[in-house]
Parts: sequence; structure tokens; C-alpha cells
Amino acid sequence: MDSIPDRIARALSNLENSNNLKKLINEALKKKIPVLEILEKGLRNGLSEIGRKYEAGEYFLSELLFGASMMEEAMKILAPRLEARKLERRGRIVLGTVRGDIHDIGKNIFRMFAEGTGFEVYDLGVDVNPEDFVRMVVEKKPDVLGLSALLTTTIPEMKIVIDELAKAGIRDKVRVLLGGNAVTNEFGEEIGADAVALDAVQGADFCKEWTTR
Amino acid sequence: MKEPGGMTPRERIKNAMDFKEVDAMPWCESFYEETLLKFFSEGLPAHKITNVEWEMSLDGHLLANWPKFMGFDPHSYFGCINFMGCPVPVDIGPIPRFKQRKTREDAKYEEYIMETGARSRRFKKEIGKITWYTMPQFLEFPVKDKKSWEQYKKRLDPEDSRRYPKDWEKDGYLRLFDEYQKGPTTLSVTGFYGFGAELMGIPNFNLAFYKDPELIRDMISHWEYFTIESLREAVETLKDRIDLVFWWEDMAEKHGPNISPRLYKEFLLPHNKRVARFLNKNKVRRIMMDSDGNTQPILDLVIEAGITGHWPLEVNSGMDVRTLRKHYGNKLFLAGNLDKREIAKGGEAMQKEIDLKLPLMKETGGYIAGLDHLVHVEFTLEKFKEYADYLKKKSVIQ
Repeated sequence: MDSIPDRIARALSNLENSNNLKKLINEALKKKIPVLEILEKGLRNGLSEIGRKYEAGEYFLSELLFGASMMEEAMKILAPRLEARKLERRGRIVLGTVRGDIHDIGKNIFRMFAEGTGFEVYDLGVDVNPEDFVRMVVEKKPDVLGLSALLTTTIPEMKIVIDELAKAGIRDKVRVLLGGNAVTNEFGEEIGADAVALDAVQGADFCKEWTTR
Repeated sequence: MKEPGGMTPRERIKNAMDFKEVDAMPWCESFYEETLLKFFSEGLPAHKITNVEWEMSLDGHLLANWPKFMGFDPHSYFGCINFMGCPVPVDIGPIPRFKQRKTREDAKYEEYIMETGARSRRFKKEIGKITWYTMPQFLEFPVKDKKSWEQYKKRLDPEDSRRYPKDWEKDGYLRLFDEYQKGPTTLSVTGFYGFGAELMGIPNFNLAFYKDPELIRDMISHWEYFTIESLREAVETLKDRIDLVFWWEDMAEKHGPNISPRLYKEFLLPHNKRVARFLNKNKVRRIMMDSDGNTQPILDLVIEAGITGHWPLEVNSGMDVRTLRKHYGNKLFLAGNLDKREIAKGGEAMQKEIDLKLPLMKETGGYIAGLDHLVHVEFTLEKFKEYADYLKKKSVIQ
């Protein structure tokens, strides 16, 4: 028979209604299953499965968003039971839309999914100056710097940010991930980014890959 | 109005949409105004594309002849067609409109209430400089829940007399729609996804399919009723004088459609079908969906819903006229899909892109040539003219 964390993972990945998921989490807590196990084997595995289904074309944006929102609801039950030091994060991401661009839908979806996957995300918002990205990389020491841009007219800003990281001598301290409609793999390679994400799930997958120790 | 090949632009585009013979493939483009401003600075003769109308009217009554600047018509100059050449004049927006007003500003940004009721932020225009096109950042949407929807719904009354021009007079419009030959006569419709996403924002609208399906059902049912009833007078009057329904959805991004086939089938398909049936019953048969992004996983259902054409087919999102034609044959006329990034390079890159796609489209018909989105500011005037010349040369059917 499936363990409760497995059932939690399945309830989440099948997008069963939030009440079922909450019931299962409360049942797990009652049975003294460690909170970290509920989180890792239950919720995070469930969210990973949602990501897999999204990539496979079984799920679409609504399902991705609903999954992330169920995860957020579930975390409200678990968070008070987790001591801060025990809430181990997979890694840290600094994120923002580049200067001159105020689009944020894709960036916000990525943030939701990355947080659900277990990353600590510092979202600098939109129209972010290169020097602010650099300052936050120095200050927060993230594993990943996520740069978003929708427009062909603003993607050159991504190169400026990468050049500024190099000037500050910290380019090799952080992976640079690009996202946004106008960004292509060729462009990413040309400007020296580490990867280009087609969507939020692929972006989170890159981050996971880079932070798996 | 007949051109060297013998057909008017209107005849040509109608035949193309119907997979019938044409003398040359029609070519349609839409321009960002910023691109035209850039073209002016590069030598585009302003007097050749500026529209000046000699009239002055009030409440539909002509008072005097007076020159009035009415914008640009780059289409005639470059020899392409405007999808919106002769639009059906029905207002399907919220009435009364939300009063557009600036609510805040600082050194860099301005915040606005838009006419749809959304709160948005834009870059402030710098005097003497062109502010390049960018969508605003949406900060808040007018519909959040059942209560705000009920409020909004009051502005979507199809019977409101302000939806039609004050000078709406059937015979005049019948004549106009019979005589117009510069391109298609076009009815603009906002599709069900586009409507909801515009009122709630993409994330909230998508989430509501799961979190508040009753709200979605009510919104979409009302939109069906509103669309049919507000358009009824125009559609039943003009009938097949309406060549094209421009069905705006914008329901996809690079990865795929924003909404799954399952949700589309359950929530949108029946309503979509009923609107299409109403149009078809009145002999309005060509319905073209405008959606960026990769719509392929949902296209079977979109066709089942009654859509007969698709634009702009973004290459960056994996859309390709050759694959679509192979898969859908003459069930779907296609428009656009010339990769704007390659075309803007000019020279060999531009020619290669055209040569890759045009031969099959000429052979199979049902195609309107054009870029895979609006003409953006990366085009120089010189490269755009080079593209126009090459495309027109290659579009002629021998």
C-alpha cells in the first residue's frame, strides 16, 4: 500500500481538490510522519510530477498554476511546524526583468514554480538596472541569476548584465539563466549565458540540475 | 481598382481564404506606429502615407470641409493589405468605458486606469524622444471574483445604443461594404479566452478554471450572449459582405496553449461553436483566429469550434505553415509565418525564408503572406522595402 507521502504526491500531481490534499497532510501529521518527509516525498515530488506532465504536454498553464497554488496552500499548514533552519532550500535564485522591460507574467510564473520546488527566490521585479542585479548577486550569493525579457528591443540588456558581472569579477560565481519570448538558445550562447529556459518548468529544472550536489 | 494581375486586393484575399485561384498571393501586414516613425526618420515620404480627411462633423452631421489628420496608410504605399481595411463599426468594449486617467507618476513611470478598468504602469514618455512600443505592466485587473464580475457585467449590455455609430444607416453601410476593394471587410470579435484574460489577467483567469469554475461559466455564457446580440444588427444586415471575422484570442505562448484541450473543450468549445453558427447562418464564413504562440495542441478543437483561418503563426514558437498545411489541408487558411527575425536581416536570409515557404503555399493555396507578427522596430526602411519587392515578385502566380 502507498505511504501517505506518496498519496500526497499523487493528490497534488493529479490536482485533486485542495481539501483532499489538506486532509492527507493532516493525517500524515497525526501519524507523526516528519514534516520534512511530507514536504520532500509528498509535496515536492508531486510538484515535480506536475512539471513532468507540463513538459510532456499533458498539463498546460492552468494546471501548472493550480499545482503551484495547491502547494502554496499546503505550505501554510507545514511552514509553522518547520523550524527555519530545517527548511532546507535547494538553492537561491535572484530574479528580475531587465532594464527597459516591464513584462512580468512569465517571470512571476517561474518564481511561483521555483519557490514550490524549494528555491529561495529574490524577485527584484521589472525594469531592473544591471548594477542592481550585480549588487544582489554580491549580497545574496545566489546559485542562479534569472534574467527575463520579452522584447527583441530589450534582450540586449541581458548581455549588459552578464558583462557587468564579469567586470565585477563574479561571473563565475553564479549561473545565468535567461527566459522570455524573444530569447533563443543561439542568443544565449552568443552572450555567454549558462542556459535559456523555454518555460517555467524547464527553468526550474536547470536550477535543480545546477544545485544538485 | 483592378491591379495588373486582374484582381482587386479584396477579390484576391477572399479567394485565398477560400482556397480558390488567385493571380498573386495576397500580402497582409500590420505595423507598429513606432516602426513607421522610425521609417520616417529613414526617409519614408510622410506625405505619401498620411491620411488627411477633408471633413468636420458633429454627432454624425457634416458641418464643414476641413482637413483632419487621420493617421497613416502605409499599406497602399508598400503594396500590402490591411486586415482591418474596412471594419464593421460595432463597439464591443465596456460601455460606459472606464475613465482613462493617470493615477500616479514619478520620474520614470506613469500609472493609469485603462479604459478596460485595468490598472497599469508604463514608461513615461520622454519629450523629444520616441518611446518604443511595449505592453504596460498590469498591476490590477477589474474582475477578481463573482462580485466584481457582476459589477463589470453591467457595462456589457448588448442593447446599449452606443454600440453602433450615431450615423448607422443600413443602406449607406451596404453600399460601403459592396464597394470597398482595398482589402477585406472585417468584423472584430474578442474570443472567449482573450476576453477572460483581459478582464482577470492571464494567471488569475487560468487559475479560476480550477478555483472558481462557476465564475468562468458565467463569464463565458454572458460573453456568448453579448457577442451574438451586440453584433446581430450588423451581421444580419451586412451578411456575406463581411469577408473576414478577426477573432482575437492570444491564448498561447512558446511552450503551448495557455489552456489545456480538456478545459477548452469543457468551457469554451460549446460557446465558440454557437457564435460561429450564428455567423455562418448569416453567410459569414471566414473566421481567423489571432493568437501568438504555439497553438498546435489545441488546433483540432479550434477548427471544430468553427475557426477557419489562423494568424500570425510565430516561428519562434514552433509554428510552420508547411507542417500545418500537411496536417490540416484546406480546413485552415494560414496567414503570416514569415520569420520576422530572418526577414529583418534582408539579403540572403530574407530570401531564404521566403523561398522556403512560398512554393508550397503557392501550390496549395489558402495562404496570406506576411510576417509572423507586426512589423517591429528592428526593421529598417531599406530592408522592409527589399522584403516587399522580393515578396511581391515571388507572389505572382504564373
